[in-house]
Amino acid sequence: MNYGLTEDQQAVLSELERLIAGTAPDGHTEPEFAPYCEALDQELAQSGFLDIAREDGFGPLDAALVVECLARAPQIVEAAASALVGPALGLPVGLRPVALVEHDPLKPARFLPRAGVLLADLGDRVLQVTVDPDRVVPVDSLFAYPYGRLETLDGLETKDVADVATLRRRWRTALAAEAAGCMAGALALVVEHVKDRRAFGRPLGAFQAIQHRLAMAAETVESCKWLAFRAAWSDSEADAALAAAFAQKRIPQFAFDLHQFSGAMGLTLEFSLHLWTYRLRALSGELGGAAAQARQAALATWPEAAA
Amino acid sequence: MEFGWTAVEQMHRERIRELLDDLLPPDWEQMSLHGPGSDEQTAFSKDFCAELASRNLLVPNWPRAHGGEDAEVWQQFILGEEMWAVGEPRGPQYMNINWVGPALMKYGTPEQLEKYLPPIREGQAVWCQGFSEPSAGSDLAALRTQAVPVDGGYRVSGSKIWTSYAGHADTCFLLARVPASHGGAQDKSGIVILLADMKSEGIQVKSIPALIGEGDIHEVFFDEVFVPEADRLGEEGQAWEIIMYALQHERVGVARYEFSRRILDRAVGKLKESGRWDDPSVQEKAGQALMLCEAARMLVYRIVDGKARDLPPDAYANVARWAIVLADNGVNDFLTENLPEGLLGEDPVQQAHHQRAIAAGVASGAAEIQLNLIARRWLELPSERTRT
Ligand SMILES: Cc1cc2nc3c(=O)[nH]c(=O)nc-3n(C[C@H](O)[C@H](O)[C@H](O)COP(=O)(O)OP(=O)(O)OC[C@H]3O[C@@H](n4cnc5c(N)ncnc54)[C@H](O)[C@@H]3O)c2cc1C
Repeated sequence: MNYGLTEDQQAVLSELERLIAGTAPDGHTEPEFAPYCEALDQELAQSGFLDIAREDGFGPLDAALVVECLARAPQIVEAAASALVGPALGLPVGLRPVALVEHDPLKPARFLPRAGVLLADLGDRVLQVTVDPDRVVPVDSLFAYPYGRLETLDGLETKDVADVATLRRRWRTALAAEAAGCMAGALALVVEHVKDRRAFGRPLGAFQAIQHRLAMAAETVESCKWLAFRAAWSDSEADAALAAAFAQKRIPQFAFDLHQFSGAMGLTLEFSLHLWTYRLRALSGELGGAAAQARQAALATWPEAAA
Repeated sequence: MEFGWTAVEQMHRERIRELLDDLLPPDWEQMSLHGPGSDEQTAFSKDFCAELASRNLLVPNWPRAHGGEDAEVWQQFILGEEMWAVGEPRGPQYMNINWVGPALMKYGTPEQLEKYLPPIREGQAVWCQGFSEPSAGSDLAALRTQAVPVDGGYRVSGSKIWTSYAGHADTCFLLARVPASHGGAQDKSGIVILLADMKSEGIQVKSIPALIGEGDIHEVFFDEVFVPEADRLGEEGQAWEIIMYALQHERVGVARYEFSRRILDRAVGKLKESGRWDDPSVQEKAGQALMLCEAARMLVYRIVDGKARDLPPDAYANVARWAIVLADNGVNDFLTENLPEGLLGEDPVQQAHHQRAIAAGVASGAAEIQLNLIARRWLELPSERTRT
């Protein structure tokens, strides 16, 4: 048991933070719903950080550290599926961004307008679709991801992959790690806001009603993070489902509270809170949502035979 | 970063489990129903702790100079986890090992160490913690029990409440205030810590009937009780520092989530046997209770990890305490809803868990106080009193 970062992990994360800082949006850009950060995407593609799970001496835990760190930033890039799902399903290096979808490959998927590949969970198998960006129809939404969908698979290269369990397990871990980072980013923003903004002669953050809910949010962030890292470390079915269940279960209250403490400002695009909370809200509904994940965690933890 | 156990740690855990199998009597479950402070469990703790002591497993966390083993932080923690998981057979004595002993070692005189440490490390000492009073709970510094300086010591008058284990305790780790008329400051610096002999004349203990375990809570009345100066811990004015040191050790010592996790595992077994497990909503709720236990575990491990790596203490203890309150209550709610028969005489262990869980948000500092501390120390939010 050791919660500390190795020297290699520290080096990776500090280099990553440098890339994030170097591609931070300047204050003058028009606010948008889901501005995809091409600059950071390219830096990531070149740096090889998203392939860290494939490297000798590294693995999914390191990938989860990268994903969590990136998600804390306001820049939106596809990282979680590339870093955690792609390597486990044997996608070739560089085939990304990776979009994920359940049941129906023609449903809207996060990142599809930029994606190199779509992985569709069809229940008994995974369909791998090589994406032609010209064929993707963008889908407008409030979610802070670029969404798109395919109208047909005709003429697209597809391939069946047998291992649905691996897809789902890594998807859950990726979702949990990304949610943990988004939560940390959102909480940091709102904590600063309630320290600055004053009402009734004191900072908002001095009111106990706000302090308590932010303290609960802090526990949510920390628990979500360690459960996600443990899931990545063990790469076990039960840990992955548990981490995703925890994140998805807590997202609604977390997002509600943080918007609440930001007042009307929190409903504007100018205040960047939505860049995290509308990623979180999108994540909260994937893979059947919190209830499905909690059941999965229970079934994996207490398999029938062990009764 | 990694979340596994070393081979040595695993062996240590196995060894403790085997030992528990050996040492716990067949009616242990029934005995543990009444909680660590009950007559039966307190008496049993003296045999059990003596057995642990003879195997160097009672105070391995203590320094060798004081009869310990300088054991690794994780070794001691694994021991505590296994003990708590089966209902704490060390009874009230866990407290001595976790914080009374360490506080004495740091602040006690050589005479005090000589007097108090041997019975603790032999597994024969019962202490109680005389902090809370009728008008000083969360606001501990409001305590009023008086320690009037007299020739050779203090005369103590006042009352304590909610004092666990007081009915069996040999010694009370007592907080009292030197009155202003005798030069005592009105704030925290006017408090003294006295190691009061519970057999002293003028002490009266009354058990308080409650929803929680037998012997868990008492009122203790002090009527002009003489405590020699030699039994004062630290200097006058140093008490708050000592309390903070002691509480830091107290509040991570208890692996409550592990008891919750084991009881949840058992509950799932029972639900499977009775066919109720097939209901998807039961599975979902079990998964949610599980996730709260595991979150609490990860946060508590983070504190232990900090200790093991010698990092300075931070507000994580408060974050973890909140998670533990959620875990204990989440599991308890699941059990009460899905296995109500456990509280109707069918399952003493479930009832014991229930009684611990309902106190989790109050004992050792209310949950809301933890949230205050998280806000202040972890998020660095301004104090409630801030005005601009
Ligand atoms: C099982 C058990 C064993 C105990 N054992 C001992 C023992 O051995 N020795 C000992 O000294 N004490 C012991 N206690 C007492 C315990 O430390 C106190 O109960 C605890 O500190 C809370 O104090 P109180 O009960 O007076 O609650 P109060 O201080 O009256 O508070 C009641 C409630 O008000 C709220 N509250 C209080 N202050 C604030 C605030 N600032 N902000 C927001 N909300 C607040 C909280 O919800 C709190 O639960 C024990 C308690 C229990 C339940």
